Amino acid sequence: MAFKPFAEWTTGSGMTWFPRNPTLQNFEFVIFGHAEGLVVSLDRSILGPLTASLITSICGTALAVVAGTLSSYAVVRFGIMSALPLQVLQLRLFPPLAVMIPVMVMWAFIGAVDTWWGLSLIYGIVTLPFAFWLMKTFFDEVPVEIEDAARVSGCSYWRVFYRITLPIVKPGLATCALFVFILNWSDYLLALLLTQKNWITLPIYMSTLTSPMGGQMYGMKAALGMIAAIPPVIFGLLIQKHLVRGLTFGALKQ
Amino acid sequence: MTETAAEPVRSEMKQPGRGYWSSVAHDGRKLGFWFVTPAVLLLVFIVVFPLAMQFYLSVTWWTPLDGVRWYRAYESFNSGDNYLRLFTDGAMWAALGRTVLLMAIAVPAQFLLGLGLAYLFMEQFVGRKIFYSIILTPMMIVPAVVGLIFFLLFQGTGPVNDTFGLPISFSWLTDVHRAMLSVIIADTWQWTPLMFLILLAGMLGVPSDQLTAGRLLGASNWQNFIKIILPRMKPVIGIALVLRAVECFKIFDIILVMTKGGPGVETETISLYLYKKTFADLDWSYVAAIGLTILFSLSLLAARGISHAAKRRG
Repeated sequence: MAFKPFAEWTTGSGMTWFPRNPTLQNFEFVIFGHAEGLVVSLDRSILGPLTASLITSICGTALAVVAGTLSSYAVVRFGIMSALPLQVLQLRLFPPLAVMIPVMVMWAFIGAVDTWWGLSLIYGIVTLPFAFWLMKTFFDEVPVEIEDAARVSGCSYWRVFYRITLPIVKPGLATCALFVFILNWSDYLLALLLTQKNWITLPIYMSTLTSPMGGQMYGMKAALGMIAAIPPVIFGLLIQKHLVRGLTFGALKQ
Repeated sequence: MTETAAEPVRSEMKQPGRGYWSSVAHDGRKLGFWFVTPAVLLLVFIVVFPLAMQFYLSVTWWTPLDGVRWYRAYESFNSGDNYLRLFTDGAMWAALGRTVLLMAIAVPAQFLLGLGLAYLFMEQFVGRKIFYSIILTPMMIVPAVVGLIFFLLFQGTGPVNDTFGLPISFSWLTDVHRAMLSVIIADTWQWTPLMFLILLAGMLGVPSDQLTAGRLLGASNWQNFIKIILPRMKPVIGIALVLRAVECFKIFDIILVMTKGGPGVETETISLYLYKKTFADLDWSYVAAIGLTILFSLSLLAARGISHAAKRRG
């Protein structure tokens, strides 16, 4: 649908599954903000929302993965705060809208609304449970014996974690990062609530695409949708082997 | 899960008093505490503090319109009227009912489709890998984009009507009954792959020698499926259903993009209802009350479910 020329959207005379005259016009339009043969032009190109999406997703992912990895290791190895898993899991249970009011108030209070760090922070927090559980399933599989051996030969706990355990779970870590990134990338609600103008992300931007003449710019929306879908689909295909493990929270093994 | 987590500590504590082990255990716990700190800080930041604030707001009439800062919301203390109002709020109950209806149709549909697909994928066939990737793709797509795709497909002038030779006036998204059906189709399209993936993983875990034995004893494929595969998959099926039900309860992006809860309130789920209350009516203290109530009841349900699962495992 992204390849349909503008005219075929507006005629209204029976749409078809495939465009009659495929064109790249829509992509040209969303990327550069204008295109040949179209009178309308956007006040901004895709670059703003694209970078906003990328930055917040990446920062949020980094936050969630670091905090999730460290805490799940602590829970798995040292049994510290062994009630943590359940609490973390419960975070995922609730409709985000049910708990967003105080978050919105807080974010306004500390001036985090519409900033890159505010959005990154909330992304990091809401995806923390996934990072935590995914990493937990990987850490559960690392045999304690290897670590014990290193420890007996004089490594400190930190060195054992950094030099031995972390390299072992490296593939898991990559999977986890990609997975969390996809979650952050596909968020719509949080960005809707916590951004206004400067840091709107791709999905929000897509929903604001209407032409000044009042028409919905379906072709452009579809083109944008395709662009927005590319990274998760690629990543998703890369990690599909490990996906189930993360989604079922390791409960399958028991 | 907690048993395995606590094990290393227990084994270390078995040798109390021995210099090396006790010091190492101590060292390890110290590092462990440092490791949980970031996550705990985030949890406190997002759970403890906001929940307290939410409760505080929920017993007042506070809305951002008044221009009163939130910490002075106590000026309009209402001694729990928001919670009483909840019981007589027909629109909220209707939205909740629609959410449950959506779950009751979409989740079983996705389950059956996923189960069928998973069963097909037990056999090797030409192009299995390619089909596998194709089937998994919908679930990677941003939900808002999925909403958009189906919004376009179900237009009066859209491809669906074109294919089935329906007139332009036959609309999907503005019809009272078909709107919900469209939403269910969209949700099913996006999330059947997840069901499929989990169920396939579970199905591949069924020992194949049992299936062979069943076949040798003269069981048909169908009998094998009912008598051996399904009982073996019970825990996996449970996980898949619960996971999808939870996510389905939260459905938001797809509906907002597709129908905005319309026509009227026909596809307004609980999330949409809260969204409208938050932004159209700016009724924040009431939303806080609803949110807390949902949170509380879901927590109770979850706690029961988890303890139930734990009992069965032990």
